[in-house]
Amino acid sequence: MKLPQAFPLRPCTASWVVLLGLTTITFELGSGAPGQTLMAAVLALTLVKGQLVVSYFMGLRRVRPLWRLVMAAYLATVGGIIALAYLTA
Amino acid sequence: MHTETSVDSAQPLPGDFAIWIFIFAELAVFGVLFAAYAFARSAHVDLFNVSQLTLNRTYGFANTLVLVTSSYFVARATQSIKAGRGTACGNWLAGALVLGGMFLVLKLVEFHQDFAQGITLSTNLFYMFYLALTFFHFMHVVMGMVILAVVTYKAYAGRYSAANHTGVETGGSYWHMVDLVWIILFALVYVIH
Repeated sequence: MKLPQAFPLRPCTASWVVLLGLTTITFELGSGAPGQTLMAAVLALTLVKGQLVVSYFMGLRRVRPLWRLVMAAYLATVGGIIALAYLTA
Repeated sequence: MHTETSVDSAQPLPGDFAIWIFIFAELAVFGVLFAAYAFARSAHVDLFNVSQLTLNRTYGFANTLVLVTSSYFVARATQSIKAGRGTACGNWLAGALVLGGMFLVLKLVEFHQDFAQGITLSTNLFYMFYLALTFFHFMHVVMGMVILAVVTYKAYAGRYSAANHTGVETGGSYWHMVDLVWIILFALVYVIH
C-alpha cells in the first residue's frame, strides 16, 4: 500500500484521516443486518486499517520485505480464520 | 506539498529488535484468542448475536478513534525526534498519553455499566470472551502507557536525538501493536454479527 509521493499530507496524517473514516464506516455497518456480506465488508475494512497502521504508523513500509510479509500474513491469517469460522457457523 | 525520501527497503525493524519478539508473541496470543472467539461463536451463533446487542457499540467506536489518534501522535513523535526536535517529540508523546488515559477511562465506565447490569465472566460464553479479551487488552494499554511515560520523560529530558531515537521507536512500536490489536478486537467483538 503506497501513497503518491506528492500527496499534500504526510503519509501518516493521510493514513490517520483514512483510519478515522474507515472506523466510522465500520461503526455504521454494525447497524446493518447480520450476514456474510456484513462480515466480509467489516473484515475487509479491518484488514485495510491494520495494514495502514503497520505501514504508516509502525513504519514497516521502509523495512525488509520479510517483515512486511510477516505482518501482512498475520493480518491475512487472522482475517481468514475469522471468516472461516463465520462461514461455517 | 509534503514529500518523503525514497523508501530504503533494506532497513531493519524500527526500535530494539527485542521488542519485536515481544510484539510477535503478543500478536500470536491475541490471534489465538480471536480465533477461539470466532469458533466459539460458530457453535453458539444466537447466544453471541443476542449478547452482542447489549454492548454499547458507541464506546467501542469512541475508543477506536481515541486509540488510532493516540497511535498517530506516537508516529508524529517518532518523526519529530528523527528531525532532532526533542520537545516536539515529548509533546506528541504527552498527547498520546492523554488519549491513552481517555481510552482507559472510557473502558472503565463501560466495564462499570456492564457490571451494574450483572454481567460477569460466568454470565455466558460471549461475555466471558468479551470481558476477558477487553480486560487483557486493557492491561496492554496500561503497560503501553507506562512505557510511553518513560519515553516521554526521556524525550523532555533531552535523552533522545536525531541520531539516537531507538527508545522512541521501541516504545512506539509496542503502542502501535496495542492499537492494531484493538482495531481487530473492535470489529470482531462489537461489530461483526
